[in-house]
Amino acid sequence: MLNSFIFIVLPYTALALIIFVTPYRFFSNRLTWSAYSTQFLERKTLFWGINPWHYGIIPVLAAHVLGVVAPGPMKALLGNQNNLIVIESFGFALGLFAVFGCLVLLLRRVNTPILKRVTFASDWVVLYLLLAQALTGVYVASFMRWGSQWYLYTAVPYLWSLLTFNPQIEYMVDFPLVFKLHAAGAFLIVALLPFTKLVHLLYVPFDFLKDPPILYRWRSR
Amino acid sequence: MDVRAQLVMVFNLDKCIGCHTCSISCKNIWTDRKGAEYMWWNNVETKPGVGYPKKWENQDIFKGGWLRDGGKLKLRAMGKGPTLFNMFFQPNMPKLDDYYEPFDFDYSNLYKAPPGSDQPVAEAFSQVSGERIEKITGGPNWDDDLSGSQVYAVEDSNLEDRTLVADYGRMFMHYLPRICNHCLNPACVASCPSRAIYKRGEDGVVLVDQEVCKGWRFCTSACPYKKVYFNWQSGKAEKCIFCFPRTETGQCNACAHSCVGRIRHVGVLLYDADRVEEALLKPDDQLVAAHRDVILDPHDPEVREAARKNGVTDQWLEAAEKSPVYALVKEFAVALPLHPEFRTMPMAYYIPSLSPVISSGGDLYELSDHGTFPLLEKMRAPISFLASILSGGNQEIIAEILRKQIALRLFKRAGNLGQPIEESILKNAGLDEAGANRLYRLFTIAPYRERNVIPTQQREEQDSYQRKGASGYGILKKTRGPK
Repeated sequence: MLNSFIFIVLPYTALALIIFVTPYRFFSNRLTWSAYSTQFLERKTLFWGINPWHYGIIPVLAAHVLGVVAPGPMKALLGNQNNLIVIESFGFALGLFAVFGCLVLLLRRVNTPILKRVTFASDWVVLYLLLAQALTGVYVASFMRWGSQWYLYTAVPYLWSLLTFNPQIEYMVDFPLVFKLHAAGAFLIVALLPFTKLVHLLYVPFDFLKDPPILYRWRSR
Repeated sequence: MDVRAQLVMVFNLDKCIGCHTCSISCKNIWTDRKGAEYMWWNNVETKPGVGYPKKWENQDIFKGGWLRDGGKLKLRAMGKGPTLFNMFFQPNMPKLDDYYEPFDFDYSNLYKAPPGSDQPVAEAFSQVSGERIEKITGGPNWDDDLSGSQVYAVEDSNLEDRTLVADYGRMFMHYLPRICNHCLNPACVASCPSRAIYKRGEDGVVLVDQEVCKGWRFCTSACPYKKVYFNWQSGKAEKCIFCFPRTETGQCNACAHSCVGRIRHVGVLLYDADRVEEALLKPDDQLVAAHRDVILDPHDPEVREAARKNGVTDQWLEAAEKSPVYALVKEFAVALPLHPEFRTMPMAYYIPSLSPVISSGGDLYELSDHGTFPLLEKMRAPISFLASILSGGNQEIIAEILRKQIALRLFKRAGNLGQPIEESILKNAGLDEAGANRLYRLFTIAPYRERNVIPTQQREEQDSYQRKGASGYGILKKTRGPK
């Protein structure tokens, strides 16, 4: 029951929400499409939270995505034991870095009165959810070693089975609860993404790198 | 030659009385909203002073504007690569305290307070946190009229001799009203990773597309004038929009319209977009000349032909010919750009103020040979100070303009008193009688339609669907949070 909820109901709900709600929000009210930075109001603590969080979580997230997108090359890379040890250690350190940053960000919201007016329910949900996700991730990394390796043979085929609408949850059902929570957290984040400020990660600015510095808009051209 | 049109404002500082009416009318129309309480798209500063936000002129702090790097211009703050790595925490961004914490007063306490032995008062509260403020420590014009000059004015980076602030006999001040300069080489536009800020091709107004802005905040520090603001409620950047809904219909900007001193002129300039970068690579003291060089003569048939090719309409060309701005900036060359050395090529120009003309005290001032005004070098406001603000340190340009202003006054004074007019005074200042009369008219009695010549936008040229969406700020749709 729990297994089919986490591994079938949750991912498809998340998929449906991100596919349908994101464009709806984009086309109906883009005025809410922002990362909602609070640096303007408080910057001292923010520095110690926001940098560790982003620099920790972005490489880790990228590694997860890479495993799904290119399982073949990743398997070849991690088949070498030295590579595996190096990558696993880096991932663990970055995970801890992210947890530290997220904790700082959470405590900052609690302890800074001036942020009261810019902190909404969605901000709390996002912070707690991301902290929980980072914590379960670090737990898996430390107590269920070599995850970067076995992830490719379990979760990745399962995720592909989801995408082909032939969910094979038998890849996942025998895992300990913590890992199931980690997976559930991931689906939850994807589900909530279009409703929260997390939409900012759907937009990575690369266009400006090639553009000339000054942008003109002509009504008549 | 790539001829484009630009709407430009000229401020006659000689006439500004620092009444802040412009700021209030702007605030009432555009920034009387949640998240924008602290923003003053138009503000008036006392010089010497630290301004708003505090020390905005000091680019060592905020890293705004451009630098020359070999044969190219680059943003002072960072290149494109580092921009990607500083998105989470933007190191040069001004914080709320650099402006001030906006406050209001709880007037309900005046009638809700329980009976007691004291008069109830309306207590101050923060418009950001909503918490009570015990002691207000800042405002948008906290050092107005030199108040606290030992703390604020003394920090003015344009002052050569800081002891001047403490010396009552030598002290001086003038006002500096500031809006967004709608620069030809805007650093805010160049710094935006989302490409949300753009310069309108038709009239040169620089705008932030609220739908595209993601709140990365690089513009707030890249603008050396600190005229792009971060709305803490909507999480997006906002700035002066040159009242485009008004100018498009030929009306004057709210700030200029409400100006009681009638110090402002609005009009069209034609410029050569191909020569902007080359002009900005000149050394600091040649930048004013380079500015003037980029501005084109609207009477020149060649310029008009090139402008037409670029889609500048006849109506705009006619406005460019009549432009009071062209007369002041190029023809008479009495208006100067604000801090040209920031290299954004600002399109708001300032006529420097003449120091107090009364030479009371005799030995305080040496009068010039005509006996009415102090010598240029003995002016109360040091020429070096004005040069630091308006000409990239070029004192000769300031002296030229002050000479013109003095000559004009002597000329009109003689006329009023029925005295003979010394031709040489005008001639030495580079003026002739007809020119002096025109300048006099512009400075004094010119009516609304002469002070402001604003051509309308051609409605039929606009895509009506696009126009529908451009109705200003958050009017049709809600931003985050309760109203």
